[in-house]
Amino acid sequence: MKVFDQKGQIRIIESFLAIAVVFSAMLVSFTFPTSPDFSKQSSLSNLGTQVLTELDNDGTLGSLILRQNWTSLTTALDILLPMGVSFNLTVFDQAWKTVNSAIIQNSNLLGPEVISIQYVCATRSQTVELFVVRLQLAWTG
Amino acid sequence: MDRIRGDAGEKMRQKKNSGQILLIAAFIMASLLLSAQLYILEVGRSSGEAETDSLDGFMLNVKQGSTHVVVGSLANISNGGSDSILDLNLQEWKSFIGTQYLYGKSVLNYTLHESAPYSSGIWLYWGASGIGASSVYANFTHEVSGLREEIEQSYFTNITTSLMISSTNHMLNETAREVNVSIHVLNEAVPALAKQVTVYYRVSNSSFIPNESNDFRLQSYGNGTYSASFIAAFPTANVEVSTHVIDLRGISVLANVTSIEV
Repeated sequence: MKVFDQKGQIRIIESFLAIAVVFSAMLVSFTFPTSPDFSKQSSLSNLGTQVLTELDNDGTLGSLILRQNWTSLTTALDILLPMGVSFNLTVFDQAWKTVNSAIIQNSNLLGPEVISIQYVCATRSQTVELFVVRLQLAWTG
Repeated sequence: MDRIRGDAGEKMRQKKNSGQILLIAAFIMASLLLSAQLYILEVGRSSGEAETDSLDGFMLNVKQGSTHVVVGSLANISNGGSDSILDLNLQEWKSFIGTQYLYGKSVLNYTLHESAPYSSGIWLYWGASGIGASSVYANFTHEVSGLREEIEQSYFTNITTSLMISSTNHMLNETAREVNVSIHVLNEAVPALAKQVTVYYRVSNSSFIPNESNDFRLQSYGNGTYSASFIAAFPTANVEVSTHVIDLRGISVLANVTSIEV
């Protein structure tokens, strides 16, 4: 009679163990890092490329960099980018030295997923100068 | 009796193992659950879209940059710079582009147009027939090999600032004449605005710029058309006029014409 009782307890323990195994697997799978939303990132990347291409279309981007007019560059990006997108732009020369003396951004990049776009810029000036523009974007909403 | 006892023993053994089977099944279920989750994560991660997007953007970026390099070079050459500046600038651009694509290999090649009227990709025609042109023609081939795909893009860049002028004059008295000049500025055959328009007239092999004392007036019609008028003394009926224009891109062009007496 006692042996049967113990068998029952063991079975209960085994059942609990089985439930624990399945439950812990479920817990682990729920706490897995969620896959970043690539469609959202891709649209942000396209948006950034479009904005830089538009700004560079008639050589404005190169001209603003040459004149070191960082305020106008910030304003231009503010106008071209939709609301709810935060940006940070850095200009490098060919030796990867930072060119912009002031911070070019509208707010801190607070979004969970920040994307970075690299854009090569040639000026239309008589002495052609080459720069690399790095634009970081994030949805703030 | 023995058979009955044997069947009972078998059933007991099965009952004894059922807990272990339950555990094994639980482990299998857990591993299936975890591997399915991992698979979903990996599939999401291996999206090739980002690379394709960045490749398209980079190709467009380089094409636009090539145009800027050509424009800048033409601005330099047309303002008195050396013809070799075009090749030097394009060489620099080519090597710069070779190091800028983060997802693979980027090779930009160019050739300068050699067919008449171009020589080493450059054509400067500042003639006496009322027409002037400053032009550069270059062909580009850009190959990009990414992780998943390869793209080759061929294009040409032809930047031309042209100027067309015509002039009439009429005698005011024995020596003074009123001269009118009509000026048309074009960028790639499309009317374009100028940053600077300077009119000259020639008397006894010397060039003069008309000013207020000549009652000089320059009017812009806002569509690339300008008209200028001035009064000057000319010893003969032969009135030669020149116009020097710098367009908004900084490209310089000159045209000369003999004014027609009306």
